[in-house]
Amino acid sequence: MKPLRIALTKGRLEKDTIDLFEKMGMDCNAVHNKGRQLILPVGDGSIEVVLAKAADVITYVEHGVCDLGVVGKDTIMENGSRFYEVLDLGFGRCRFALAGPKGKDFYEGFSEKTVASKYPNVTRAFFESKAMDVRVIKIEGSVELAPLLGLSDAIVDIVETGSTLRENGLEVKETVADISARLIVNTASMKLRKQEIEDLSVRMEDAIREDLKA
Amino acid sequence: MKLYNKITPEGTRDLLFEECATRRMAESRLCSVFVSHGYQEAVTPGIEFYDVFEPYHSGIPQEIMYKMSDQKGRLMVLRPDTTTPIARLAATRLQNMQRPMRFYYKQPIYRSNPGLTGRSNETVESGVELLGVGGKRADVEAIALAAQAMESCLPGFRMEIGHAGFFRALASELPISEEEREEIRSTIESKNYAALNTILEKLPDSPAVRAMGRLPRLFGGQEVFEEAFSLCSNPEAIETLRYLKELYESLSGLGLGSRMMVDLGLVQRNDYYTGVVFSAYVEEWGDAVLLGGRYDNLLARFDAPMPAVGFSVNMDAVTQAMLRRGNAAPVQKPDVLVYSEEGMELAGIQYAARLTAEEGLICENALCDSLEEARVLAEKKGIARIDIVGEKEIVKGGERQ
Repeated sequence: MKPLRIALTKGRLEKDTIDLFEKMGMDCNAVHNKGRQLILPVGDGSIEVVLAKAADVITYVEHGVCDLGVVGKDTIMENGSRFYEVLDLGFGRCRFALAGPKGKDFYEGFSEKTVASKYPNVTRAFFESKAMDVRVIKIEGSVELAPLLGLSDAIVDIVETGSTLRENGLEVKETVADISARLIVNTASMKLRKQEIEDLSVRMEDAIREDLKA
Repeated sequence: MKLYNKITPEGTRDLLFEECATRRMAESRLCSVFVSHGYQEAVTPGIEFYDVFEPYHSGIPQEIMYKMSDQKGRLMVLRPDTTTPIARLAATRLQNMQRPMRFYYKQPIYRSNPGLTGRSNETVESGVELLGVGGKRADVEAIALAAQAMESCLPGFRMEIGHAGFFRALASELPISEEEREEIRSTIESKNYAALNTILEKLPDSPAVRAMGRLPRLFGGQEVFEEAFSLCSNPEAIETLRYLKELYESLSGLGLGSRMMVDLGLVQRNDYYTGVVFSAYVEEWGDAVLLGGRYDNLLARFDAPMPAVGFSVNMDAVTQAMLRRGNAAPVQKPDVLVYSEEGMELAGIQYAARLTAEEGLICENALCDSLEEARVLAEKKGIARIDIVGEKEIVKGGERQ
């Protein structure tokens, strides 16, 4: 039997997923001592882990070269979805928020607003749902700069504690969406390898529940 | 100015040799399956009026259609699917034709996908439409034909069936707005259990809410029916289930037993499909390679209401899957290189034609100035035999004179 291949988002989500796998009693030594290897066997060899950047996890799963993936809801919202999103893993929690200069009402006045973001699709969809025309500008680095420099009226960005916003005189105006890590599954794999995938997903769900109790 | 004259547009490609031969082989296998069941080929225009594919009815979003305008400023599209044009044809020119009407097609469709995702914007689809008959017999014919078409190219496939009416029946029992219904549908389509539960938790508890909550998990083998029956109280939903189970059993009887799966959460294009929906999967491809279903409302849009069922096969997916299995079609190589001596060029062409007609050999004309050159060419191209057309005689096999 071919191993199930799961793509993990490098960094924190990778660490949290591996912690979860270890709680489920799976041997993850290959991941801890990965060296230069890119495809790593986990547990009894029935699962292979691939480490990738967030947006690439989606690409690999969509094309079916990985059966499953662990990726943040932020990436899913920005990059669209042609896969199944079967489990909220509960870790990697944060939120998308609309933030702007402290004390200023973002919605006041009749002039068109400009919003800067690393997530232009999320931003556009958010304002479309309000039937509001805004100018969206894509920024690659520190988005907080845009309103400080006068480029935009507000930003849409990922907020965890909000301390970066505060230090720059910005505040959250509105939550756009809550974010956490998700288990995603390729559509064909879901149908062709239902039993294995459901088993894994149920075991992960149980381990998360155990975790919450503890 | 930058010239884009040496590359093809994104999402399109040139096909050559093995890949090209394999796709043609797959097409011809499918077509002979369709023809053997009395289906006639239809070829429809590559460009059509936008109104034919009006998104609300066709279920094709406007942003994926390639658009242009004609000389009168009317909006045109590159054909984004073939079912709708065949429906247009059946409703207009073929109004008086004896029903049922059976058509098959193999032609490219064009859809503009987001860039750099590796998806094709030009895809060849081959499929059938069975128009003018509703009910189980037509559904069984369509699905059995889909299975036979898959078997001809990719044995070992899995076939999955569902029913658009099941979701509709459950949704009609819930106190929800049109928007909420769409939200529920889309979470079921993506099997997003968590998001679905969040929406359903806001509704007053009822059997329909509980059944809806299980919908994305109601897929797999025959055991699915049992669970689904135990969850339902709505007579319409039960009727739908009973029908689907009957269909499942009929198809199992056709020897499809172990290949059949059920997914009651198949809710794609739920306003377009009206009855059974089905799709086929193979291990070598990360998405469905065949999609189909019953669409009884489409023809009414063209003022000729009639039931219809059909499916389409993604031929690019089939070709790639066959190549991955190592089932490439052999590329036809010439059997004979015909070398004509100077002044004998015409005789050489005639000889080659005779050889093909009498012995069925593929003959390539050697456009060489000397026999030596022809020998080098034959070796490089891997052609085993050289025939030399000389003034006095024809030497077969190129033995030295």
